[in-house]
Amino acid sequence: MAGISTKTVHEIFRTMEYGSSSTNTATTAQSWLEKHSRTLGFFVDGTFSSPADRQTLDVTDSKSAVVCSTVCAKDEDVMSAVSSAARGFTTWRELSCYQRAKVLLKLASVLQRHSQCVSELCELSQSSTSPTVLIRLAQYYASWAQLRDTLMPEWTPHGVVVVSDDCSVYFLMLKVLPALSMGNSVIVVPGKTSALPALLLAQLFMEAGIPAGVLNVVTGSEVSLAAKLAQNPQVNYLTYCGCKQTGEAVAKAVAGWGVPMSFSLSQSSVCPFIIFDSADLDSAVDGVIELAFKKKRDFQWVLCVQESVLDSVVARLKLRMAGMKCVSLVTETDRNLIDVVVQEAQQQGATLIQSCPPPSTGGLYPPTVLCGLAPSCESVISPPPGPVLPLMSFRSSAEGVTLGNHSPHGQAASIWTEDLTLALESAKSLCLGSVWVNCHSVMDPALPICGRRESGNCTDGGREGLYQFLRPSLSPSLPRSSPSSINYAAFGSVASKFMIPEGFDPSSVPRFYPQLVSGQLRKADSGCSRSVLAPGGAVLAHCPDGGRKDVRNAVEAATKVQPGWMKKSPATRSQSIYSLADSLDKRRRDLAVSIQTQTSISFEEAEKEVELSISRLSDWAARCDKEQGGTPFPPQSGSALSTPEALGVLGVILPSSKPLLSLVSLLGAAVAMGNAVVMVPSEKYPLPALEFIQVLQASDIPAGLVSIITGSRDQLTQALANHSVIQSIWYWGSKEGCQFLQYSCINPLKRLWLHCEEEEEEAAGRNWSSSNPSLQEELWRKAVVWKSIWIPTA
Amino acid sequence: MSARNPGMHLDLEWVSKVRVNTQAVLKRAQQIQGHKVAKKQWQAAWMLKAVTCIDLTTLAGDDTPSNVHRLCMKATQPIRHDLLKSMDMHDKGITTAAVCVYPSRVADAVKSLKAANSSLPVASVATGFPAGQTPLKTRLEEVRMAVKDGATEIDIVINRTLALTGQWAALYDEIRQFREACEDAHMKTILAVGELGTFTNVYKASLVSMMAGSDFIKTSTGKESVNATYPIAIVMVRAIRDYHLRTGHKVGFKPAGGIRTAQESVVWLTLMKEELGDEWLDPYLFRLGASSLLADIERQIYHYVTGRYPAYHELPMA
Repeated sequence: MAGISTKTVHEIFRTMEYGSSSTNTATTAQSWLEKHSRTLGFFVDGTFSSPADRQTLDVTDSKSAVVCSTVCAKDEDVMSAVSSAARGFTTWRELSCYQRAKVLLKLASVLQRHSQCVSELCELSQSSTSPTVLIRLAQYYASWAQLRDTLMPEWTPHGVVVVSDDCSVYFLMLKVLPALSMGNSVIVVPGKTSALPALLLAQLFMEAGIPAGVLNVVTGSEVSLAAKLAQNPQVNYLTYCGCKQTGEAVAKAVAGWGVPMSFSLSQSSVCPFIIFDSADLDSAVDGVIELAFKKKRDFQWVLCVQESVLDSVVARLKLRMAGMKCVSLVTETDRNLIDVVVQEAQQQGATLIQSCPPPSTGGLYPPTVLCGLAPSCESVISPPPGPVLPLMSFRSSAEGVTLGNHSPHGQAASIWTEDLTLALESAKSLCLGSVWVNCHSVMDPALPICGRRESGNCTDGGREGLYQFLRPSLSPSLPRSSPSSINYAAFGSVASKFMIPEGFDPSSVPRFYPQLVSGQLRKADSGCSRSVLAPGGAVLAHCPDGGRKDVRNAVEAATKVQPGWMKKSPATRSQSIYSLADSLDKRRRDLAVSIQTQTSISFEEAEKEVELSISRLSDWAARCDKEQGGTPFPPQSGSALSTPEALGVLGVILPSSKPLLSLVSLLGAAVAMGNAVVMVPSEKYPLPALEFIQVLQASDIPAGLVSIITGSRDQLTQALANHSVIQSIWYWGSKEGCQFLQYSCINPLKRLWLHCEEEEEEAAGRNWSSSNPSLQEELWRKAVVWKSIWIPTA
Repeated sequence: MSARNPGMHLDLEWVSKVRVNTQAVLKRAQQIQGHKVAKKQWQAAWMLKAVTCIDLTTLAGDDTPSNVHRLCMKATQPIRHDLLKSMDMHDKGITTAAVCVYPSRVADAVKSLKAANSSLPVASVATGFPAGQTPLKTRLEEVRMAVKDGATEIDIVINRTLALTGQWAALYDEIRQFREACEDAHMKTILAVGELGTFTNVYKASLVSMMAGSDFIKTSTGKESVNATYPIAIVMVRAIRDYHLRTGHKVGFKPAGGIRTAQESVVWLTLMKEELGDEWLDPYLFRLGASSLLADIERQIYHYVTGRYPAYHELPMA
């Protein structure tokens, strides 16, 4: 590039080139780094510390020059960070909402003051985030901090929250700020690119007056650092944002330690960009150009174009891409990956749109569109890194939606059409977290980001995203434990032993209760059954010994019924649940008897439980059409919708306490929100659930929507965990069961709600009889996922 | 010079399929305005390019031969010679693209330019400028007379009544007739975008004008309340691109009205480069209709050359 500055006016006049934009010297960021001698330690207890003899890690800029090094944490650093955060939490918790809000508001103005430094440092560490976006985040969450006690009374913060991030500063702060605003203290484990900005932000937080220890930043080289932190008993929650592999490693390392975890795996998500024939094609192509060929993308994209406009789109892409310069790759190894994928695609008949031929070697690649691909092509299944965009075509708009949905990911989609009805219909049918209509990648904290399927199991942003950092004051937190050695592969495979009861009395043959699978009364697929014992040990009845195949049949039926149930109007769902309550009312005596025989409580108490169950079902029936999303204010003009949607099919391993009341509470929440559910009654007290099958059969609830399968808890847990259709598992059971689920439900990803029942009994578990609104709210929020729809207008 | 646009039959199906998403266009416009052009010689070169694309215009009731003469002289030497010389651009034929006057002043302009030995084209607005609310017969006659007086470029205004009521066939016929009346003179069709209501209508009117054989499409007369804005330009330029993709004919673009600063002229060039490519960065396919823009560009060039900001009286007036 030598001689670029010696170009004469006439030469430029002839070629009309742009010239290189002014080189950013990043002076303020450099001087900040200089002040820290270009070695940044941890930010713990309100100060920077860089202990001696630690490994260091170099942070490089886009030209691979080392700008700074960070220190890698050892075990003692983990300890000191956690105890700092625990102390920080006690201080932070004691402050009033107003005082916490004040800190966040102050942060917004501090960010404003240092915006130059922030933006330069983000740029330098290749994690470009604009300071205005961060200021918006700070202001948004300051108001939530202010309103916590007013709008969310009866909810308390978790305590110490570990936020681990591999994406960008925006996604990091989208977890850190709500955690802080709800009163938690936070330990940040930043990824390579967000390390420097995170450390700078920690310092700015101090300037804004945050008490020492409330925000800590620990850096390290290994993925296990977040896991190490979470294993500490003083940590209460772990949330991770990044790519799938790391998330999986973290989950497996933390399984069994009794820490709830959540994952936003946006980075490895593949999102469809759908252009319908009713679209403003030029604007759509502009959108493609803008998002697909950046050096660092938040998500991977796949372009889907309706066949009737395919040629027009391709022609426009060719025009717009002509003359685009090569994009530098994040690492040079990406180049090999791209070469392999592109070659394979070409062998399968794909044609390339490329602005220029790729340079023979090195970390540069021209913007490339691979045309004529099919969903089975490797480059569609896992698009390569770098500026390569796969393109597929579809026939009808319905097929476009199917194409977009047929993917293990569920992060976001961008759809382009001028037809409002089509836009709203497609937005509704796409099974993903965010739908951008005629726009893309718009982010604002007012709207939740809620990945589905492999893209995540938690909700960030919006009011909806605050609840991951809170729990109802009445609900106990998961007791801490240490993992046992479990053979994960063999979990639940031990066949339950059927014992022929001793002292068989021919005069009172115990009754056989069938289970409910696919809406029918059935024996177990294996044909085996097990005995239901009274607390004294006497055989009360026999029930099927259900297993993997029963779960499979139940799920199959549920997948068929659930979409129809979800599409029904909430008012219709409400009527069906009222009929269930009614049906329970008619059989109240049978149920009370079954509770009494099963748990040996007094008949009055059993009747009371039935009475409460009827009223609980009526609660859910009433709530069906009341819990709804909202229309948050988007940052630009236009409309935005945030709507709750059903998860799909849920698996529930029921608790033993209050066997009927807990069953209807969970069933009611799940079904009211439009889900289908496969329930496993507790091994100990299955009788009321089996009796309840009669109630279900006599109600208007569609056959197959609810299945009740009895059998070995571990075996059925294993079966539910290994069925990918099941989107969420609510579990009451053993410590080992919790550990198994945390370990195995990361791949494929599920939403877990775990309760260790053995220990809960000592710590007084969930109070099912309480009708506290926060407990109800917790339940229905567990039963939904959120979809954000952006419809910008002029 | 590239071949003229011969036009084509009126394809109403194409016109009816036009869709424009307003907010996406606005966003694109913001993006283009945020595009940075390098400083120093790049800026100077780009501004000189803008000068060569200017249709230096006077359209006032009090135009007389003397101010038209001044305008013509300024058009032939738009930047002070010594300034050009210090950039080594004095012998590169830097003039504006044309002068643009009312039909009655065409003869004056032609005379002035001839006397100065300049081949600079004279453009004339015609067809009941600016409202277009006169009978078709007189509008056609106006075109013919301007051509007869020596205008080689005619800026016609479209009949907004026809565009607003969706009578595309009638509009097509009118423009066709204007094109015939123009004979060899290049025809620039003014859409008066400020009065067309929606972006979709702007796109449709652009297509119909091009189908009828316009050599240029032009945003506005400069007399409406909304003049040349970047979002509207993006819509029109996309129509040009669409027309080029389908027919292979290249049609030029002329924003006019309210373009006053050197900075804006650079944004206009960026818009053309981004949307249509380098080929459209040329007076054959791109014009800027302006009167006071030139003065600002000359001041900026003065600043680039000398490092000082000039007073207005230091630069020759138009």
